[in-house]
Amino acid sequence: MSETLHAHPERAALTGVLENLRDGLGDNLLEAVSADDMDEAAILPAGLHVAVNVLLAAGFNMLADIGATDHHPLSPRFEVSYHFIAIDGTGKLVINPARYRLRVFPDDGDPVVPTLCGVWRAANWPEREVFDLFGIRFEGHPDLKRILMPDDWRGFPLRKDYPLRGTDRGFVAGGRLGPVPPVVTS
Amino acid sequence: MSIDLTRFENNPDLIVSQGDERDTLVISMGPQHPSTHGVLRVMLRLDGETVVTSESEIGFLHTGIEKQAENLFWQQAITVVDRADYLAPLSNSLCYVLAVEQLLGIEEQIPERAKVLRVIFAELTRIASNLVQLGTHAMDLGAQSIFMYAFEMREQILRIMEFVTGARMHQSWFRIGGLALDVPVGFLDVLDEFITSFPERLTDMRAILEKNVIIMDRLVGVGRISAADAIAWGLTGPNLRASGVAYDVRKARPYSGYETYDFDICVHDGGDCYGRFVVRLDEMQQAWRIIKQGREKFPGGPVVIDDPKIVPPPKTEIQHSMEALIHHFKLVSSGFNVPEGHIYQAVESPRGELGMYVTSAGGNKPWRVRWRPPSFYNLQALKALAPGNLIADVVAIIGSLDPVFGEVDR
Repeated sequence: MSETLHAHPERAALTGVLENLRDGLGDNLLEAVSADDMDEAAILPAGLHVAVNVLLAAGFNMLADIGATDHHPLSPRFEVSYHFIAIDGTGKLVINPARYRLRVFPDDGDPVVPTLCGVWRAANWPEREVFDLFGIRFEGHPDLKRILMPDDWRGFPLRKDYPLRGTDRGFVAGGRLGPVPPVVTS
Repeated sequence: MSIDLTRFENNPDLIVSQGDERDTLVISMGPQHPSTHGVLRVMLRLDGETVVTSESEIGFLHTGIEKQAENLFWQQAITVVDRADYLAPLSNSLCYVLAVEQLLGIEEQIPERAKVLRVIFAELTRIASNLVQLGTHAMDLGAQSIFMYAFEMREQILRIMEFVTGARMHQSWFRIGGLALDVPVGFLDVLDEFITSFPERLTDMRAILEKNVIIMDRLVGVGRISAADAIAWGLTGPNLRASGVAYDVRKARPYSGYETYDFDICVHDGGDCYGRFVVRLDEMQQAWRIIKQGREKFPGGPVVIDDPKIVPPPKTEIQHSMEALIHHFKLVSSGFNVPEGHIYQAVESPRGELGMYVTSAGGNKPWRVRWRPPSFYNLQALKALAPGNLIADVVAIIGSLDPVFGEVDR
């Protein structure tokens, strides 16, 4: 575990976060780093909800983004990245809000991460997008289906072993529902 | 012809509550509906003309921009990055170049002139984008002539863009390390003309729209969202500020020298379509102030850093210097490597917090460029905003959220 001192003023309030994460997560915490842009923690999926509760308690009320990265052929292969911001919703000018990043590393063969839909409504679509493009499943998601690609698409386009062009998908005359029936005139 | 509705029947979000005797009707609004501002399909379940549930379907404009960016050199990827949010292409490329510059560790070396020009053009883009929103939004509500006023004003900005960068829409003018080219002779004249003429025209437009009875009837109280809900849905930009949250990346975490400009954050406490509409009008005013200050600063000097490993040397030098030729050849044929690492960079695009989570594996291509498209999150909230309103109001709500589908679908 590597740690550096908090050099940024907006991170001074976060000193308790790392300790709480370490206490709550135990072996599920892989690494905690004070990166150039924000503090981050690398965790295993089993610890996601514990980590999120620690961050909620520390005031991180906005889920800014959920994304994923495929580190193929390295292992762990998949990284699901969560960005959080602590935003003052009272109308005061928000200056230098604290930000936090969680990097979650699910299993290579069957990547599954617990959903955050129950915590932030904003989590719904980005989780569907990660599922659609990377094939990472979100356990407990209410409506986990493809969002950007067609429903009957095979494969996960943003995986590194998915080709840039030349997919095996053929053109279906009349669209996905099959060929257009001939027009019958009486 | 029968349409298979089982998909929507089985969707728990679309089932009407038990004991409700009233018949409901599912209709598909879009994807070719003019007021969806692109290719959005909204499955509306209606009780009479009132929306009971709404479910958006997106992805019609998915072009795999993130995948393409992974297969281009760092510098080349700017061309596809520009095409995500096609109404504000320079905000996209600004976010990308700032992220890569930080990974390279050259963000301190960017010349002052490049920074000021980046700010001026990002703000010009903001005005142009807000004008499109305003014009099309007003047209959705039935005010056809505003569209012409707005597009005429936007045309002036696009002409400046074309004059400076050579392109009206996908300028790709920001480069890693600075700008592609310096501004041409005569740029300050056209910019001055814009700075002098814009306030009067904006005032005209405000006079027509702001207290207009029809606009107020259609927008006040429609699609209201509270500050807490807006944060929970991940709304950013004018949509969040219209709910009373003063969050703007330009103030919260200044980039490209925004901390040296004097401007206000426009906040409205209505949280409704009218609030979002007024915030966008105000933001054009503030953007004009920033452009004016940029014009007053307008420092001289170079517009790119002096590092031939990243920026190709000038053509005149290539013709005389062997070393410059080699640098040029190397940059064109294999690009440059970026040290391993990852970074999240956010900018305030006209639609909200545009973030990019860029990962480098040390090679000459980005390993991963993850967008945080503001429109994607803003549009998601339609599900909460539409129910309870009339179909005609759904048009107003979509327009006021200002989604751009190049960015939603990427």
